[in-house]
Amino acid sequence: MSVVYVALPVALLLGAAGMYACIRCIWDGQYEDLESPAIRILIDDQKARGQPEKQLPK
Amino acid sequence: MSLTEQTIEPEVSSADAVANATLCSVRRGQVVSCPCIHCGQSTDCLASEDAQRVFCCPGCRSAYELIHGWGLDEFYALREQLRPASASAVVAGPDRHVQFDEPAFLGKSAPRVQADGTCSVELAVAGLHCAACAWLIENVSASTPGWLSARVRMSDHSIRLVFDPQRTKLSTIAQLMGRMGYQLSPLDRSRDQHIQRESRRLLVQIAIAGFLAANSMWIAVALYAGEFTGVVFEYRYFLGLMGTVLGTLAVAGPGRTFFHGAFASLRSRTPHMDLPIAIGLFVGTVVGIINAIRGSGHIFFDSLAALVFLLLIGRWIQFRQQQRAARAVDLMLRITPRHATRITDDELTELVLAENLQSGQRIRIAPGECVAVDGVIVAGATTIDRSLLTGESVPVAGNCGDSVSAGTINITAPIDVEVQAVGRESRIGRVMQSVESAAADKTPIVQLADRIGGVFVMVVMSLAALTFVLWLPSGLGEATSHATSLLIVACPCALALATPLAIAVGLGRAAKCNVLVRDGQSLQKLALGGRMWLDKTGTLTEGRQRVSTLLGANYGLQLAASIECKCVHPVASAIVREAELLKLTLISSAVLDQAVSGGVLGTVDGQRVAVGNMDFIQALHIVVDQDWITQIKTLLGCGEAPLLIAVDGVMCTLLGLSDPLRKGARETIAKLVREGWSLGLLSGDHPEIVSRVGQQLGIRAEDCHGGLLPEEKLELVRESRRSGSTVVMVGDGANDAAALAAADVGIAVRGGAEVSLQAAPVFVSSGQLTTIHNLIVGARRTNRVIYAMFAVSLSYNILAVALAMTGLISPLVAALLMPTSSVSVLAIVLAARTFEESNR
Repeated sequence: MSVVYVALPVALLLGAAGMYACIRCIWDGQYEDLESPAIRILIDDQKARGQPEKQLPK
Repeated sequence: MSLTEQTIEPEVSSADAVANATLCSVRRGQVVSCPCIHCGQSTDCLASEDAQRVFCCPGCRSAYELIHGWGLDEFYALREQLRPASASAVVAGPDRHVQFDEPAFLGKSAPRVQADGTCSVELAVAGLHCAACAWLIENVSASTPGWLSARVRMSDHSIRLVFDPQRTKLSTIAQLMGRMGYQLSPLDRSRDQHIQRESRRLLVQIAIAGFLAANSMWIAVALYAGEFTGVVFEYRYFLGLMGTVLGTLAVAGPGRTFFHGAFASLRSRTPHMDLPIAIGLFVGTVVGIINAIRGSGHIFFDSLAALVFLLLIGRWIQFRQQQRAARAVDLMLRITPRHATRITDDELTELVLAENLQSGQRIRIAPGECVAVDGVIVAGATTIDRSLLTGESVPVAGNCGDSVSAGTINITAPIDVEVQAVGRESRIGRVMQSVESAAADKTPIVQLADRIGGVFVMVVMSLAALTFVLWLPSGLGEATSHATSLLIVACPCALALATPLAIAVGLGRAAKCNVLVRDGQSLQKLALGGRMWLDKTGTLTEGRQRVSTLLGANYGLQLAASIECKCVHPVASAIVREAELLKLTLISSAVLDQAVSGGVLGTVDGQRVAVGNMDFIQALHIVVDQDWITQIKTLLGCGEAPLLIAVDGVMCTLLGLSDPLRKGARETIAKLVREGWSLGLLSGDHPEIVSRVGQQLGIRAEDCHGGLLPEEKLELVRESRRSGSTVVMVGDGANDAAALAAADVGIAVRGGAEVSLQAAPVFVSSGQLTTIHNLIVGARRTNRVIYAMFAVSLSYNILAVALAMTGLISPLVAALLMPTSSVSVLAIVLAARTFEESNR
């Protein structure tokens, strides 16, 4: 018996796992806001530079 | 930042200019327009001033100082980098944030207490402009004690807050947000949720179809390779069977939506693109399954799965456009305040929701506050700014017994108003209802692609039948095979992708030029040309009074400004601004004695100062001699409103006030006329001022309509639509809402984006008039791109059909041809130059 009979279903299963993960992300709402996550990277950047946290004038 | 030098000479015809040569020579030197450092609104300042310290209003100054104090100056740099859009003025108002601590006020969006004792709440945010706003809010939350986190979602302008109820209150956060210029409000989720579910469902379908298409494609690669190298039948059969399973799943799963569409189109007997697609998918699947089981003949499963995948992407792009159109907010709620100060029977005041007010109750309206209801003034005398409703540039007097409308702004003094109508019953509520009905009675144009779809079905079906008959002599099997391949390769994939894609790309590029377009239809209509109505106040002119002439002693201006800074009025702020420009110190001991609609009276260091129009000054028995009267007449000739200042009963200074034309107004008008548009003015302002502005811009006098109520503007727009040509209305998103909605295409150049897009399908967020010309050119180019793509994708189909009829097509050719056509369509759209990049 050829390996293709095993390899093909296994490959499909692996792909299906990826698809399942993608669907989970969609239902999680990851694809709804494509603008603000891009800006969040910039916020983290600033903290990484080690700036001290500033206290607000209350 | 561009510093555009601009003299303050009023725009006058040459004859007038000669007559005024002497008058103009007294005017002071160079004044430049600088953008306000916080909001970008152009502000007058002397050329010598530091451009980094220019503010248009105290609100911007305090917002700037707040941000500066937090050390978050990077906000400005970030904002410039992300989108050079202007922010709207900060909404000032009394502190209403206490309401945020009451669950009843928040309704369904009341905070939920989480397991660790923190509270989480989702609210709507007004005033978000770009991602830099999100950056600012999230940064501020990180440095505020007790406010644990904030997650801003730009897509639906909502925010998710987490805070510690022990250390801070929601009202404190709301107040802080308010100080930054962002208004929080309870969220109504019901409508959004439906859209959200639909969007997620489509994305899941795309994911499934993508998975199936990708896998069936690599199986197909194995099969095609096997054809050349001679694969053992056993493996070929197995691979074919697996591929067919994947292809069939793609058609039966995510592809189901096309069958729904096709059935709906059959039932309603309207042509639709789904019909030829469904026929191709169905025939391909059935023949493919039979061939796979028989182990001979062509199978098209890879093409089918890819077809479903690509078409679903087109569907999703289309959905996202519609979603943008459907994301409507209740316009009226944004214009009129949601709260009012009610006067109880025992003369105390309490803050109540405006919608709970009943007629007969009394409310108090502080100066600077927006009126929440229609009613009659029962106590107090004030002036009222009705520009939102009528477009009048000058506020009117409101005395006891006068009626006031919701949406107008109380300017000078507190008044008590007896409520007559609230919400939808109020005048502005009725205007909004006419907005809704005007938007509803437009029939959406049938998509060109759908119309083609109907013809397409007939042509393809008859060609398939013809192929079958022609090949019948060579055997039944051969004839079926060729007819089937024809049906599949003729499937109008590129055609169905073309329109939504071109429009989506066009809208995206427009947004980069600061033009938000709600739907693609508007682009198609703008490409046609026709009649364009323009609003005057705030659209062609700056909508703001400015002192353009100063005659007599500066001292008079100094005294006048000292008094005027005590009251809120466009004329008063124009005077104060002018005094600040000339670096005159305001005298703090000034007392404002009386403010009526014609002018003000005050005392400065024992001197009686009167500031007002001709009638006001003469009523005080102050002598205005012949020289002054000549100069007043000249001012009127220039289209400027004269304002007289008298000190101790003697005329001292004369000011000329005008509302100057906006930058680029004249050039834009000239360009639009060259493009073949017939232009006209619609304004609520005085007819004489309107025709003067029209004259300056080169618009024919009979096309300049002044003194119009919103209802009359609407009627004029409707009337010109009846003549059949495309009617475009350009105006203010709020006060021209009805006319904007009634026009074929409404273009809002002012007002908040959310509010404007409700009434007008196009919103120019930069507020620059030149952008309108760019928009029209871009619309025409986009339209041309759509037609070009129709031509390209149709020629691919013709080629494929010809190959299929001659029997030259194989599954490999079909599998190559289809993606090629889609990719070339894509390339054309992306490469075509549609919108000019913003000129900044």
